[in-house]
Amino acid sequence: MRTKIILLLLASAVAASAALLLLRDRAISSPSARITRDGVLLEEIDLEQVMEPYSLLLQDERGSNTVLVEQGRIRISEADCPDQICVNQGYISDGTVPIVCLPHKLIIEIVGHKSGLDGGAG
Amino acid sequence: MAGPVKGAGRVTQLALLTAIALTIFLVEAQIPALTAVPGVKLGLANIVTVYVMFVLGPTDALLVLSARVFLGAVFSGQPMTLIYSAAGGLLSWCVLCILKRLLTQRQIWLASPVAAVFHNIGQLLAAAAVLRSWGVMAYLPYLVIAAVMAGLFTGISAQALLERLNRIQK
Repeated sequence: MRTKIILLLLASAVAASAALLLLRDRAISSPSARITRDGVLLEEIDLEQVMEPYSLLLQDERGSNTVLVEQGRIRISEADCPDQICVNQGYISDGTVPIVCLPHKLIIEIVGHKSGLDGGAG
Repeated sequence: MAGPVKGAGRVTQLALLTAIALTIFLVEAQIPALTAVPGVKLGLANIVTVYVMFVLGPTDALLVLSARVFLGAVFSGQPMTLIYSAAGGLLSWCVLCILKRLLTQRQIWLASPVAAVFHNIGQLLAAAAVLRSWGVMAYLPYLVIAAVMAGLFTGISAQALLERLNRIQK
């Protein structure tokens, strides 16, 4: 009996997560990237307005991250942290997951206005 | 070593179990990341945690777990990860304490995925506190699915281990 209840709870947790991932609204019109450190907003970049790719050096006493900004997408290209998780994650272009650099307490999220058409169609 | 012992025997037993857990942890750390989502891993060292919890009890499990988490962070050269492992470890230990009362030794395989899910929730809460942003919660659905799969794997391993050790003892 207890086995069944726990199995059911686990299965529903997995199902809910899968549903959340599949139904998550990826379509973001006019995406902009918000770069936050320690909960403080450092930069907000409108990714559609980026014509030429450029890089941004973010530095403080914990270390440095080089952010590569391109039209519609953004990534961390270099970091002096030991794990390199943020670098290996590559480009992000939608609101699915943020890039997180835990050692430097840096987070890059993509936010924007959801397009009205998709909302109506969904 | 299936069953509680006292004195020097207990110290030796726990030290051995910690050494086994630490070895598994460090070997697993050498395996490259399976996915782009940070935090997804098998967590094989938790075979030992679950085993100790069900065979020796909560106190011994907490001792082995905290020694492994601390030494693991030191030996892997990433002391910053200590906050996240400690938060995840503590939360999953609490959940395991409850599960131990509800389940028997034949259902260890079931306790492990639940503990794994709470381990990841604890890690994400620590990360959210450090970053002062709830943005990291976007990883939660990925981590829940991964935790259930990895937890089932380590749970079934712990179950098989326990049954074989019981047979040797008889």
